[in-house]
Parts: sequence; C-alpha cells; structure tokens
Amino acid sequence: MIKKIKPTLSEKILFVFLILLLIFTLGSFYILNNKCLFVKKIDLDNINYKDKKNIAIMEVECGKVLIELNPNISPKAVNRFKKLINKGSYNGSAFYRVIEDTLIQAGDIEYGNISNLNYSKVGTGKSDLGMIKSELSNSFLFNAGSVAFARKDKFDTEDSEFFITLIDIPIYQGEYTPIGMVIAGMDALRKIKVGNKSTYVLKPDYIKSLKLLVN
Amino acid sequence: MRYIILIFLLFFNFSYVNADAIYNLIKIPNLELHKVDNKNDIKYLVSKKGFVIGDTNNIKCNGVNKNDLDDTFNKVQNNLRDYSSNFLKKINLKFVVLCKNLEISGINTGGIPDNKFRTLILDLKFNQKYFERMIHHEIFHMIDNSYPELFKKNKWRELNNKDFSYAACSTCTDLLGLNLEIINGFLTEYSMSTAEEDMAEIYSLLKTNHKETSQLIKKDKILIKKKNFLVNSLQKIDEKFIF
Repeated sequence: MIKKIKPTLSEKILFVFLILLLIFTLGSFYILNNKCLFVKKIDLDNINYKDKKNIAIMEVECGKVLIELNPNISPKAVNRFKKLINKGSYNGSAFYRVIEDTLIQAGDIEYGNISNLNYSKVGTGKSDLGMIKSELSNSFLFNAGSVAFARKDKFDTEDSEFFITLIDIPIYQGEYTPIGMVIAGMDALRKIKVGNKSTYVLKPDYIKSLKLLVN
Repeated sequence: MRYIILIFLLFFNFSYVNADAIYNLIKIPNLELHKVDNKNDIKYLVSKKGFVIGDTNNIKCNGVNKNDLDDTFNKVQNNLRDYSSNFLKKINLKFVVLCKNLEISGINTGGIPDNKFRTLILDLKFNQKYFERMIHHEIFHMIDNSYPELFKKNKWRELNNKDFSYAACSTCTDLLGLNLEIINGFLTEYSMSTAEEDMAEIYSLLKTNHKETSQLIKKDKILIKKKNFLVNSLQKIDEKFIF
C-alpha cells in the first residue's frame, strides 16, 4: 500500500515561490514585448489648435503624434512638407536612423519606404521635387519635439528627409531648417525602435500615415 | 554577484549607441557643448574621452579635463573674440573643438581647420609660448581655404627673391623654427616651408605681436609687399579689416 506523503512547509513555500516566479516571468515577457503598453493615447478632440491648417497627424506603432507646423519661420520648408504629405509620400517611411534618446529620422522617399527598404542606399534618396534652400532661424530653440528638415553636410540641400528631436538640442539652433513642433504624442516617438550599436536600424519602425488635419 | 555584474555589463554593451547629436552635425564623436559665446556665436565643444577621425583614422586627439580647460580656455575665447560673428560666418567657422595631444598622421599639430564642417580643432596642450599665435595661424588657414582666389600662391611666390623656392609641403622640411626674426623676406624659419604657412605666419604674428612685427616688416621690402598683399586680400573679405 502506498503511503500518502504530506509536503513539508518548506516544500509548500518553494511551490508557491515557483508559481509566483512563473507569473512574474510571463508578466515581464508580456510587458517587454508590448512596448506601447504605457503610451498615453491622445484625444484629437481635446486639443486646442492654434491653426488647424498647420497641424499634421502622424501615426506610428504606438499611437498618434501631432505636429504643429511653423510657416512663419520657414515658409518654403513647410510648403514642401505639406506637398509631400498630400502626395502620401511619407506613408510607410521608415525611421531608419535613430540616435537613442536623442533624435529619430525618416522621410527618405526613394530608398526608405518600409515596403521596399534599400539598406545600402537609405539616406541618399531624393524626392522628385528637388532641393530647397535652408531657412535657418535663431529664434527656434530646438527643444524636445522639434521637427526639422535633415540636410547633407552643406546648407541648401534639404529635400524630404526630416528628424524629430527627443531631447533639447540647443546646438542645432541656426543649423537646421525647422518645420514645426510636436504638440502631442512624444511618448509614442520615444518608443521608436533603436539600432543595435549603430544609428542605422534594421527592420525599423515606420510612419503608418502622415496627414494634415485640414487639407 | 559576479553573474549579476556580467548580466549588467552585457546589457550595457548591447544598449550602447556610438553616436550623438553633435556627431550628427560635425562628424566628431564624444563631444560635449562647453559654451556658446554670445559675442561672436562660436560654439565651443569639448572632447572628454578623445576621438579618432579622418578617412584613414589619421587624426587623433585625447580628451581634456577641467584643469586643462581652466588653464587655457580663456586664452582661446579672448583670441577668437577678435573676430566678429559676421567675419566668422564668411570664413566658415562656427565650432571650436578643444582637446589635447592633437596629431595628424602621427605628427603633432596645434590645430586642424575643417571648413566643410565649419570647425577648428585646437590642442589645448600645444606649446604655450606659441599657443595664441597658433590660434590665429589656423584661423588664417580657414580664411585661405574659404577664399583661395584672394590668396593666390603663385602671386605670393613672385614676391620672394628669384633664387628662393618653398619646400614641397610644410612637413617635408626641417624648417620648423617659430621664433620671430627677419630672414630675407620671411619672419620665421617655418615661414620658408610653403606659401600657405608663410602667409599664416605673417598673419598670426601681426595679430598677436603687432608692434614688434610691424617694425621688423618695415625693414624688409619683401615683407612690406607681403603685408600689403594680405591686407588688400583681407579687406576684400571684410572692408574694415585691420591688423
């Protein structure tokens, strides 16, 4: 006859500990895999817009991002940005270049679309609209959330690529052409995928859509 | 405990991103913003960890600490305040990078101008006897690089005695003396290396030791012509320019 063995107290404690460990592991796995879990969703109806004609809405993996454009500071750049938005050129554009906790860059229309991303050429692509002159401003401070056109090493080479700063970068003041400021959704931008040991990102996050609030 | 430390180090190794916002702008890594001078808009950047740059990694410089900066930063700033923001814009100078033990292809140097990125790299530990002069010497190279049509080397060479010729490059000669003395149309031994260095030497000496240099120049017909050449060319960049 088999004798029933009762677990000792320490065995019971060990069992409970293993269950808790399992719950913790599964919970952590879920949290780590869901990078958007703690990102606040923005409510477009509860935002006071200064000028609805100069609001762009970008949708990324973790939610919506609202950008207020500054045509007073850089009219030609904002005009170019709006043109490309209206053409749908930025939809699918990869954040192929990310400096961790510093800035994210997208907008290579030719080689940087997620549907046919060309890793060897991304960053060198052009729009079919040509380059525009830099519109530099000493009054635009490049605080966190600044949106500006990227350029080559020389000025007057802006085309379609743009970057968004995740922190204040005062040294960029007067160096890059500002387009606007993020007025909501910075948390979603901070979750954009970062590269491993490089500023260039493999399998990058991308812009799901970029539209103007009012056309 | 050892394993926890190992896991910690592994995590940091994978999280490391070799770039920053300043690198984005001037392509020199590991820099921090030290000061923005409101008087002429120069942005002073400091290397604390050192860097290696160049297509063949031939430019190296070590990081500086607080003591290095305390010793020399004011000298750099005061000398660069000789130039207005308007003039600096014309000669493509916006960023000054401060580091120490600067070398290019294994040769120690006081400064490296980079007009493309509007940057001047300065070695804070350069021989302090010539340090301030070196700053203006490198500034001249930035002026020359920005306006080569105003500082034509063939015209400059014609100002020398007919039997004189410069070396093929500034580092392929033993003429390295920096002391002020008149040597048949030259102010230092190093002036005799190349036309570019000759111009930069006269310019920097007139900037930092104006009285004595001017008096020496008055005694030499070639040097008088060289000074006039420089002044005329510089006034085409900035009509108010004077030494």
